[in-house]
Amino acid sequence: MTRDELVPLYGFVQGDTLGLLVLVRTTDTVAQLAAVLQEAATMRIAPSADVFVRHRHARLDPTLTVAAAGLTALDRVELVREANA
Amino acid sequence: MLKRQEWLDLARKLDWTYSYVQEQDVFPEAMSGRPWLEHAAWQAWDEPYRTTFAEYVTGQHEKEGAIAAVRDAVGKVADFGRHDRGWLSALKLHGATLPLAEFAAVVGNLRAARFGRDSAWRTTAAFGALDELRHTQIPLAILHELVGWDPQFDWTHRLFHTNEWVAVAARHFVDELLLGANPIEFAIATNFVFETGFTNLQFVGLSAVAHDVGDRMFEKMVQSIQTDEARHAQIGGPVLRTLVEHDKAYAQYLVDKWFWRSWLFFAVVTGFAMDYLTPLKERKQSFREFVNEWIIEQFERMIHEYGLARPWYWAEFVKSTGYYHHLVYASAYTYRATVWFDFVLPGPEERAWLAEKYPESWPELDPVWTRLSERWQASGPGVEWFTHGVTPVGFCSLCQLVLCGGTPAENSARVVERDGRRFIFCSDPCAWIFEREPERYAKHLTIVERILAGEAPANLIELVRDYFGLTEATWGKDARGGRYPFLVNSPGGTAE
Repeated sequence: MTRDELVPLYGFVQGDTLGLLVLVRTTDTVAQLAAVLQEAATMRIAPSADVFVRHRHARLDPTLTVAAAGLTALDRVELVREANA
Repeated sequence: MLKRQEWLDLARKLDWTYSYVQEQDVFPEAMSGRPWLEHAAWQAWDEPYRTTFAEYVTGQHEKEGAIAAVRDAVGKVADFGRHDRGWLSALKLHGATLPLAEFAAVVGNLRAARFGRDSAWRTTAAFGALDELRHTQIPLAILHELVGWDPQFDWTHRLFHTNEWVAVAARHFVDELLLGANPIEFAIATNFVFETGFTNLQFVGLSAVAHDVGDRMFEKMVQSIQTDEARHAQIGGPVLRTLVEHDKAYAQYLVDKWFWRSWLFFAVVTGFAMDYLTPLKERKQSFREFVNEWIIEQFERMIHEYGLARPWYWAEFVKSTGYYHHLVYASAYTYRATVWFDFVLPGPEERAWLAEKYPESWPELDPVWTRLSERWQASGPGVEWFTHGVTPVGFCSLCQLVLCGGTPAENSARVVERDGRRFIFCSDPCAWIFEREPERYAKHLTIVERILAGEAPANLIELVRDYFGLTEATWGKDARGGRYPFLVNSPGGTAE
């Protein structure tokens, strides 16, 4: 069983101007991580329903937890629009 | 009585032949720099100004008189109060990043005045130290007058004494460039790349912009500083020539490293001023046009003359001239409370001008300003937080600046694991510089690492107040509080 811990990640929202540091929990889903990234960039980028999280060039299953997706502290993740995939 | 040309070389070229000590003990490599070469390799060192001490003192006295006269005439609060708020922000940005960096350059020049390998080099560096002391004092004196009128001008002196993120990045750059460098690296990094390649020409461009804006005080100040820079920047060329002759690979490395590091800072400070903070009607050319005309052409020609190649990342650099300062400006606009100057929201006319000047990159950047304008319209004027970020941002492990490399579609930041620790770099050149000398950089913590280590607070307000040292009176805001005529006719328009 995965312990519920905070994981800081470097997040990059496609279309945005800079990299952010977002905090998620190991038990959060990748879909929740996507929502955190959208919220963090919302004053510059309008949220979109058609996005997915990418890590090391691979699309992550939104139903996986952060831990199950293999994300660890200070990983780089990207929020990509489907149209640009 | 001897004529000038009869005694000048005797005075400038006063190099001893040592009899009680070895030359290497007088100029140890640790202090003088590498490669260590006998004096014979350096004795052809010369520069075109060949200034005597009497000429130096006379010339500087005249320049001081000219500055004082302009200050008396147009350097009062009422004179600055007439300027556009955007231009005042450009003054605050330049004012804070300039003087204490110049003070650090006093140290670098003094080290060269003692450990430079030829006496004429040492003499010119001694004048350089006096120049840089002057460049510290002039902006401090002029802008101190404005502190009581606008407390953000207090950051002219305060910035480098804080842990504000621009200050952290500036110190990381300046400490290595000016305080820590040995005379050989200092001559290449500061005199050749930074001064000859960037700031000498930057001051020419900035004084022209200041003239167009009608700011005679700033125009005179940077003109006066530029005349000093033009002289002591000459130290770099002859040092580079000898270095190329004896260790070309090291010469190329120093040029490549310092061109990139200088570029990032130059882009932020001058890019903001030329493309955003100078009123549109006063702009004669875009920042990139200025870089193309004044930086790229002459730098390419210069390094070719010295037998060197363009830096290996040249294509990335050229592309970044259309993106980098725009990405940092938009990012900083949405984190404006973390700096000490205000930001202008570009309106339709400014954005049309930027689209014309940056046809390949602006279509990717414009949607961010559409979004921000919509947010201002939704919130109404004076509601700063609705267009302000609260999530911590990432910083590059090398340059310590925000992660704004690449393009909006593809940010160039990458994470590198080393000795069990993760580093993030905004660009390939920053990663390359770090990897060449990791022992120099690895112990420095970014703001993010300080937050994660518990040294700095994660809460943005606490970070800004307690760690950066900003207050509500001094932190950056929208220069017009969201009151722009161009928002009037839009739904939810905000002009009052």
